Amino acid sequence: MKTHLLQPLDICKTAKGSLGKRLAMLLSFLLVLAGYAPAWGAVGCDLNDPDRDVARLFPESTSYKTIYTSILKKGGQPLLATVERRLGDKFRGLYETIDVPYTIYEIYTNKQKVGYIHGVNQKGQFGGIQVFVVLNIEGTMKGFYIQKMTSQYAGKLRDAKFGKQFAGLTLKDFDHYDVVTGKASGKVEAIKNPAPEAEDDFRAALRATKKNLILMDEFVYSAPPAPSPQEALKK
Amino acid sequence: MNPKVIAIETKNLTKVYTRGAEEVISVNDVSLCIDKGDFISVIGPSGSGKTTLTNLLGCLDNPTRGELALGGRPIFGSGKRLSERALTKIRRETFGYIFQNFYLIPTLTVMENVMLPLTFYRKPGTENEAARLLKLLGMDHRKDYLPGQISGGEMQRVAIARAMVNRPEVLLADEPTGNLDTKRSVEIVQVLKDLNQNTGLTIVMVTHNPELARQAGRMLEMRDGRIGQISTINDP
Amino acid sequence: MITKFQVAYKNLLRKKVRSLLTLVGIALSSWVLVSLLGFNQGYEASLNKDIDNMGFQIMVMAKGCPYEAATLMLKGGTGLRYMKESIMADIAKEPEVQQLTPILMSAVFDPNKGESGGIAGYFGVDAKSFSELKPFLKFKQGGWFTDPNAYETVMGYEAAELEQREVGDKILMPEKNVQFKVVGILERTGTQDDGTIFVPLKTLQKVFGTPDEITTIGLKLKKGVDSTRLEEKLYQLPDVQIVSLAQVKETIMKLISTAKVMVLSIALIAIMIAMVGVINTILTSVWERFQEIGILKTIGAMPWDIFQLIWIETLLLCTTGGVLGIILALFLSKVTDVAMRRLLPYAPGGGLVMIDTKLILVTLVGILCIGLLSGIYPAWRAGRIRPLEAIREETGR
Repeated sequence: MKTHLLQPLDICKTAKGSLGKRLAMLLSFLLVLAGYAPAWGAVGCDLNDPDRDVARLFPESTSYKTIYTSILKKGGQPLLATVERRLGDKFRGLYETIDVPYTIYEIYTNKQKVGYIHGVNQKGQFGGIQVFVVLNIEGTMKGFYIQKMTSQYAGKLRDAKFGKQFAGLTLKDFDHYDVVTGKASGKVEAIKNPAPEAEDDFRAALRATKKNLILMDEFVYSAPPAPSPQEALKK
Repeated sequence: MNPKVIAIETKNLTKVYTRGAEEVISVNDVSLCIDKGDFISVIGPSGSGKTTLTNLLGCLDNPTRGELALGGRPIFGSGKRLSERALTKIRRETFGYIFQNFYLIPTLTVMENVMLPLTFYRKPGTENEAARLLKLLGMDHRKDYLPGQISGGEMQRVAIARAMVNRPEVLLADEPTGNLDTKRSVEIVQVLKDLNQNTGLTIVMVTHNPELARQAGRMLEMRDGRIGQISTINDP
Repeated sequence: MITKFQVAYKNLLRKKVRSLLTLVGIALSSWVLVSLLGFNQGYEASLNKDIDNMGFQIMVMAKGCPYEAATLMLKGGTGLRYMKESIMADIAKEPEVQQLTPILMSAVFDPNKGESGGIAGYFGVDAKSFSELKPFLKFKQGGWFTDPNAYETVMGYEAAELEQREVGDKILMPEKNVQFKVVGILERTGTQDDGTIFVPLKTLQKVFGTPDEITTIGLKLKKGVDSTRLEEKLYQLPDVQIVSLAQVKETIMKLISTAKVMVLSIALIAIMIAMVGVINTILTSVWERFQEIGILKTIGAMPWDIFQLIWIETLLLCTTGGVLGIILALFLSKVTDVAMRRLLPYAPGGGLVMIDTKLILVTLVGILCIGLLSGIYPAWRAGRIRPLEAIREETGR
């Protein structure tokens, strides 16, 4: 059954006369363009609606700040080598590269920084998986969120029950998780895959989480403190 | 004996200003002859018409009536009023001017100020005149200075050099020492005297200082628009 | 010898702050003018490029209210009405048609796209005729489908980038749960094709249960033919409507032209204000130098010389300000682009601001002419100063 969600314009009913024809033509042209998927510009992984998503993922937040960085900017080739060593895997393919932009959301409650949200893209079985970690100020996971995933079983991996299994985990827990073989121990081993049919995507989500935590450690938690203005001047 | 060449000659030169309903005769029926090589000083109290006379002699203004000729060439007297453009042409071929306030361009150096007239009009053979004059007047060591960086006396020397750069026939000096102290005043008038004696330059100098006026060859005393006394000064 | 240019230039340095402020005013006006003229050029060029890159000159679509179809699509329906594929044979007979290609646009709802799900769109195409109409499409990896019935896909560059796909990978069509193998990834084109997922037409028809049905036919016409005649003929076909891209472009340009005229008017007003600023600055400078200008006349300057001096000052201010404004426009062209995209209801892909050498020269000449005009009155006024007035005013005699 057709539903007129918006009032049809008179021109659609009659489309008579050259002005009506032209406008109908124009709308058809725009419709064709609308039929194309939107032209995505960013290769990075941003929250679709930061205002809404930050409030949802970090309920105690009052504001946030957005910082953009990349491995290239932060340390270049040596940093990439460090990240790959810690991940236990090389950066792969056309899209996992040194210049991928990363968006870090710094979360504040009033003027106090209370944590971070950070997302990475990961190659899944049928499409890109966007995996976000929600961290407190010490680097412990408070939350886990898959913003996008293409799979028949995506619903199970995007379910809150699955995400709850990551609460309280730290980068240290992923130290012995082998992203290549999937072998795990300790708390990571305890994470249950709710969709055994989508084992590849489950392991992709874990790889993405480990990579995410390593990047946050390199960009934020272990990064040398910013120099004081006096030290900056001396340089 | 060589016959004297007349530089400036006037006959019944008169200038009348209208101020509201009142008519003021500033220069009244002045007839005089200034020979080439003369150094004339014009002295008189304020309002005597000395500046107006000098302005007329220097073609800065049109007379109300009367005649004026420069080097035998009639300029005023046909009854026709000369345009500013025509007056400028005559002025730049014949006269150099120096004033009480020097009027140097503050953004140009000493050398640039002296060369400035050549930008608008250049007589042949004057390409190196600026450097020569600065040396002659003892100012070549200041050629790259700005007017704000030199003294009043030095500024007036620069103004003299500027007035001379196009080799004028007559130098008109309107109160050239008005803004200088006694020592500098004497120096400047001496400079003018030296120029007159060494180069034969005709000079007409307006001053209210009798001491300085007596440095000239002849002194014209003006009162109420007329020439009163003309004295010839003999050098001691 | 010192030139008039040097005298004029040095005089501007006399009051540095005033000259600088006047320069800034001119620079800002020039920046606005160049940016807006660049936008005029860039918008039309990008629109042309978008339309040219469609490869078609005319699109034939199923009749129906496109507005209604669009809202249905946006809300998750299939939206579009269909045409029979057999209509292509009728259209191909027309003598004006050089090449045509069928397209089936289909969409599904993907609940796993973000918080509230999103639309996933697919284009079913006939690889042979589609690539003939768009010969500029190049592959970064792989190539077109191996079989018209294969479950294969070719992805636009950005679509592949988002899905992290390479040749050999699989994609899954949500809702239908059908898998496709990636056989080709296109190079960036700067058009909407970058975000498109192409599958074989026959395959898509099978998946959606719409055999022999399509949504669009793209037509390329022979050179020199009268497209209006063809359009009239095509209008006679039952249940179709015609989109002539030339007319679409004309309509968009007309819609934009009102905005363009308004915006250009603002730019011209900005230039006029700057002009007034220049006249004011130069006039003030002339009054301040009243005696000095009079003395210049005593040392031989004719009225035309004084006119030239003042005019050169004006030209210097306008030229320098104009050049600064142009440089500013070049540096900030990206910012202008972003701002325009936010303001406009429709913006084509590609750069919206195109500042080329010709535009720069035209603007510079325009600013110079404006400068010459601005300087006329102050220069004329200065030329009329009489030396005697200047001397009298100073001494009060």
